[in-house]
Amino acid sequence: MIRVELAKQLTRPRTYLTFLALTAFALALAVALSATGPGRVERVGDIPLLLVPRTSMFTLPLVALSSTMKFFLPLAVSVFAGEALAGEAAWGSLRYALARGASRSRFLGSKAAVAALFSIAAVVLVPVTAAAAGLVAYGWHALPVADGSASTPLRLALVSFDPGQALGRLGLATAYVAAGMSSIFAFAFFLSAVSSRPLVAVAGGVGLTILSRVLNVDYLPGVAVLNGYMPNNDVDLWQHLFQQPVESAGMLHFLVLQAVYSATFLALAWWWFLRKDVLE
Amino acid sequence: MISVELLKQISRRSVWATLAVMALVPALLTAVIGITRPALAERVGNWGSVVTESSGFTMPLIALNAMLLFLLPLAVAIFAAQAVAGEAAWGSLRYLLIRPISRSRLLAAKAAVAAALSVAAVATASLSALAAGLLAFGWRPLTVLDLRHTTAFHLAVVTFPPGAAAGRLGLALVYVMAVVASTFAFALLLSTLTARPFSAVAGAVGLGLVSRALDNVPGLHVLGPWLPVTDAGTALWTTAFFQPVDLSGLLHAALLQALYTAAFLGAAWLRFARMDVLD
Repeated sequence: MIRVELAKQLTRPRTYLTFLALTAFALALAVALSATGPGRVERVGDIPLLLVPRTSMFTLPLVALSSTMKFFLPLAVSVFAGEALAGEAAWGSLRYALARGASRSRFLGSKAAVAALFSIAAVVLVPVTAAAAGLVAYGWHALPVADGSASTPLRLALVSFDPGQALGRLGLATAYVAAGMSSIFAFAFFLSAVSSRPLVAVAGGVGLTILSRVLNVDYLPGVAVLNGYMPNNDVDLWQHLFQQPVESAGMLHFLVLQAVYSATFLALAWWWFLRKDVLE
Repeated sequence: MISVELLKQISRRSVWATLAVMALVPALLTAVIGITRPALAERVGNWGSVVTESSGFTMPLIALNAMLLFLLPLAVAIFAAQAVAGEAAWGSLRYLLIRPISRSRLLAAKAAVAAALSVAAVATASLSALAAGLLAFGWRPLTVLDLRHTTAFHLAVVTFPPGAAAGRLGLALVYVMAVVASTFAFALLLSTLTARPFSAVAGAVGLGLVSRALDNVPGLHVLGPWLPVTDAGTALWTTAFFQPVDLSGLLHAALLQALYTAAFLGAAWLRFARMDVLD
């Protein structure tokens, strides 16, 4: 069942276009950074982390992850999740897919599994491409990171991670970002079960990230209570992995929050899909 | 022609719903801030800071700052997207074109009415914020702290008497409308390309998202001044409240917006004048 679905999605140009766009973005970023000043200090994230791109190959994946995690990755994930069921409905093939002798739950499960696989692949693809580009351009060196929040004009809080350690932390960071996409994935998947237009589901998934960001205390004073409970706000906390010592309390909270959101939306999708009148 | 179109649009419920949201959000924001944190300083744009309860004029600033990120562009996109795609979705576009009027005139009338409604949305949001603010915090001079020029030794504070504050607010609104112009034009272009208003709205909001995301990519700083929607451009209206007013950024932004708007509107016109209308 999963294999059939996987084979079907792998033949879609949309899948390749999404991957291609993400790869191209990471490569363009590497080229732009190399062209405009690899020796300059780049500020990454809200902490901010201060990086000099030229020093190590690991600077590129950090920059790539932080510039894609707020929009391009949620978009890619929403595309995969939003296409899953609404894509079939839009093609008019959903009722024929359901005529096969498999239960709706199994069908839904395999759709979700394949979409999740592609989403994870999309998240992993970005840092991997950037790291590969970095390896070619800047080489396998230790990664020096200055902690912008702990630094003063007189003292630079500089930490250096040796290549193996940097790779390990990058892996953790990627896993964290992937986990951070799960609420968006689940919401887009739910909309995909409800709507028969993929665009609605994709826009809904992206809309959730925007809503999450708009209801942020930076933009809308007075909503400070909500701040710790928004589905997408704290996806940037992985940057703390490159501080010394690591502040992991917020990250753990965010992961639990993601699990709650994802479970809720996936359960809703399942509940809806089992009872849905499939007309397309 | 324009009056016919205007009558049609203002009889639509979606128009009133959008304007009602534009009026409600600032009122709600005022209530929440008034109850929970009236004495705190709120950031406005990148460099401004106001203490809410010091004057009723702070509320329009806070509301514009919050809504210009997403809600105002969304409202503008909705009005522009309705223009052509709305008719196509109703299936009434081809009957509309049967009238002995050139397509250019029809598009111009549609665009003019959509633009008027967009202006109305911006005005509604700020007037509602102003009314709520004045009600809650009174008709008092507006004090703005300029964080860019504030150091440990010098507090850069400007105080505007109420009349001057109202004048500056009017100036700020002109900037705000200029900054959403490219979003408006892009939504109108998409509206001629698709028969679904929702797609056009999503695309126009997407333009802002993509542009903002590109603006925030380290290493692509070169692009920043040339993108249609950026964080810097969104916060540009706050310069109206600093002393002296810095006009250099404004001129650049106005030119850029004019270019994007002209390009998108031109493309919309080209497309609409030639399209096969099947809906």
